[in-house]
Amino acid sequence: MIDITPLLVKAAWVTVDISARALFFGFFIAAALVVMRTARLPPLRWLARAYISVVRGTPYFVQLLLVFYGGPAIGLRLDPFTCGVVVGAFNIGAYMSEAMRGAIESVESGQNEASRSLGFGRLATLRYIILPQAAGLMIRSIGVLAIILVKNSSLVSIISVVELTYQAQRLIGSTYKPLEVFTLSALMYIVIIYAVMGMVEFLYRRATRYTFR
Amino acid sequence: MEFDFTPVIDYFPTLLKGVGVTLLIGLAVALLSILGGQLVAVISLYTRKVVNWPLRFFIWLFMTTPLLLQLYFLYFGLGELILIPAIVVGILGLGFHYMAYNADIFMATIRSVSSGQYEASRSLGFGHLRTLLYIILPQAFYRALPQLSNNMIIMVKDIAVLSAIGIGELVYVSQYAISITFRPFEFYITIAVIYYLINLMMEAGQSWIERRAAYRR
Repeated sequence: MIDITPLLVKAAWVTVDISARALFFGFFIAAALVVMRTARLPPLRWLARAYISVVRGTPYFVQLLLVFYGGPAIGLRLDPFTCGVVVGAFNIGAYMSEAMRGAIESVESGQNEASRSLGFGRLATLRYIILPQAAGLMIRSIGVLAIILVKNSSLVSIISVVELTYQAQRLIGSTYKPLEVFTLSALMYIVIIYAVMGMVEFLYRRATRYTFR
Repeated sequence: MEFDFTPVIDYFPTLLKGVGVTLLIGLAVALLSILGGQLVAVISLYTRKVVNWPLRFFIWLFMTTPLLLQLYFLYFGLGELILIPAIVVGILGLGFHYMAYNADIFMATIRSVSSGQYEASRSLGFGHLRTLLYIILPQAFYRALPQLSNNMIIMVKDIAVLSAIGIGELVYVSQYAISITFRPFEFYITIAVIYYLINLMMEAGQSWIERRAAYRR
């Protein structure tokens, strides 16, 4: 019997890697979408809303297949790993922008008006008044999305990225020990998800140090 | 780079069959996960630890591992022991996955029904089980509707994942068509559009259900 643990640990690292990168780039896509949704130019607002609606209205699985297998037809050739990161980032970006908007809107509008009347500019109000109060909720909801991202990363196995689910399926095929392989790989997903939850909790505590909660 | 959508039109009847299978699976999974979720929630709230602890463990397990891994385990793992048709594995796998999420919602809404309701009902002569069935659960169900319909909208998109274990739903039949016509872009764009339309209809249905249910809460 081949030793399955090192192979699964290596594959689990690919899962972490791909999710972390997608989360990082997704954050900037989400921020850009939030800015676009409050833009003065109506077409920018429409574009952002249409993008969010379409991405949230179609399966992540189909998005992956479309970009990976359909991409070459429009001159977009990506290797599987990059494709996983790019589609993951653009997908989670749409969900994250809604989470950010929700958190910002949860701050009472009087805060904005008071800050503006005290002479803060639009950007300064956002930076010093709104965001510190929205940060707690924002971190919590981005944390939920990060966990979804980790679980969604298993779908990248379909475009042959050797991550945890792909490796598990391969090992089940070669060792005929589905119970052991499944238990181990499920355990690794659980460890990753609990690590994410721990980090979210840490960031949440830091972000809400000075606010009343 | 020119696009040719004629193969998509040729295979449109096949795609429609795939849509039909997708919708039927969706209906079966919705029934299974909502009824099962309610049962799981009631059992894990109202029984002794010996009974509800294993159940809570399974909810936790289904919520912390990816759907695809669960499907592979059920299909390739349990398939070694007993031969189950892929379609049954798909419906059960997806059903259990969302049963866990729905049970979580039901547990929260059952707890949110005020204890005065329970006491009033008992003092009016209803037994424990009748109180649950006629007083608590209906109220909890209407409170759960917004989140339930949200879950079901997410679930329909996850049916696409079932193509990985060879169930002839929308994505699977189009992969078959692609293997003959070599037109992946055209087919996947068409699927995305079909899914988007299904999603729009479900969102419309969601707001209709919420309007109807609002006065019953």
